[in-house]
Amino acid sequence: MKLPMTLGGLMVAAGLFATSAHADKLDDIISSGTLRCAVVLDFPPMGSRDESNNPVGFDVDYCNDLAAALGVDAEIVETPFPERIPALMSGRVDVGVASTSDTLERAKTVGFSVPYFAFENVVTSNEESGINSFDDMKGKTVGATAGTFEAIALQAQVEEWGEGEFRPYQSQADVFLALSQGQIDATVSTSTVAQANVKSGNFPGISVVGKAPFDIDYVALFTNREEYGFINYLNLFVSQQVRTGRYEELYAKWVGGELPDLSAAGVTR
Amino acid sequence: MFDTALSAHDLLFLAKGAGVTLLVTAISVAFGTILGILCGVFRFQVGPYWASPVTFILDIFRSIPLLIQLVLANAFLGMVLKLRMSGFTIACGVLTLYTAAYCAEIVRGSIGSVPGTTRRAGRSLGMTWFQDMRYIVLPLATRVALPSWIGLALGVMKDSALVYVVQVTELLKSTQILITRLQEPLFLLMICGAFYFLISFPIARFGGYLEKRWSND
Repeated sequence: MKLPMTLGGLMVAAGLFATSAHADKLDDIISSGTLRCAVVLDFPPMGSRDESNNPVGFDVDYCNDLAAALGVDAEIVETPFPERIPALMSGRVDVGVASTSDTLERAKTVGFSVPYFAFENVVTSNEESGINSFDDMKGKTVGATAGTFEAIALQAQVEEWGEGEFRPYQSQADVFLALSQGQIDATVSTSTVAQANVKSGNFPGISVVGKAPFDIDYVALFTNREEYGFINYLNLFVSQQVRTGRYEELYAKWVGGELPDLSAAGVTR
Repeated sequence: MFDTALSAHDLLFLAKGAGVTLLVTAISVAFGTILGILCGVFRFQVGPYWASPVTFILDIFRSIPLLIQLVLANAFLGMVLKLRMSGFTIACGVLTLYTAAYCAEIVRGSIGSVPGTTRRAGRSLGMTWFQDMRYIVLPLATRVALPSWIGLALGVMKDSALVYVVQVTELLKSTQILITRLQEPLFLLMICGAFYFLISFPIARFGGYLEKRWSND
């Protein structure tokens, strides 16, 4: 009695092994019942922890949505920025929902979906300065955090205009303090940072007035580059999030302000 | 410095982390010690030549940094064997083998410290090998092994801080989570150190007490 049962068990096991060899990552995730997402949790509002130390943020909600679409449980795996791709390559996570810029260099290692979020640069001005758009900054005193991408671009713009003044600051907080006190009339920073500072209430009299025409930082979901089935699913999922209005809802919840377009003009992704 | 954003809820969060550290340590030290005794006795009994395969495997666990063992074990189980095990299971498994490797060495050394003459005297009185081990080697060797074993247990408890790489939120990881949120690293690390002290100190004292008690007879 025992021997046939053992044999039967072995055959079932062999059968399972044979099918698992054909199953791809998408099947593996669904059959395991858990989707493990790499999320950066020291990058508010995309990922951080609330008072009870639970993960919250745009990326956390996005991972939960993806897990719900797949019909599995979501597991948030906290990964610092440099650990995102290694976590995927060492099999600790299934997908990265970690505000990862879709650079060509990274695409040699991992497979990216279409962009699911875009970090735009926006103009934040002191309400008394009368600045209502990027071009209004011409001739005014502007500032940004020294050494950052937007500071370099803004300084170049001020030099091109040939009037006005650019002031570099040590930290993002210094910039917003100077803006609130009227030492500078406007600044350019990432939309998430600008909205968070305006919402914090620490800097009265400032508001986000418009977009800056600098390079947009598109970020995408990523998984193993050979998992076409899963990448295809991720692409459709991102598209569905936009179509159903969920992307807009999450953007309003975590960032606020004008919704960034997820595709560059003239191309599909 | 004492003006902190740390709440009672966060202290509870740290206490939970300390609980996980204790649990991982207790499981690994318990199973690791059993496995270590078996390997140590085996190594002593069969001699260096026949025990060399076991010695080699134990040397691997002793020589490779724990962090690397954890990452590799996790990757091997997950990607090669396609097993979806919880991080906690993997952490306990790796730490058990790590503890066993050190424990085997302690056991082998302490059995060696029992005078051969005493053991031969026992055997000439007609004791079997098992009786010799039970009534002569065990009491004498345990006294020799105890201080190193307490040291090993405390060491494993502190080394268990590395299990965060397999997604186990133990004491140090809990502290790091709070540091990221509250931005008070020095204060939080002091509290974390106090927690480690609170759980290590009783074990160290208990070891000292046993040592004293056993040295009388």
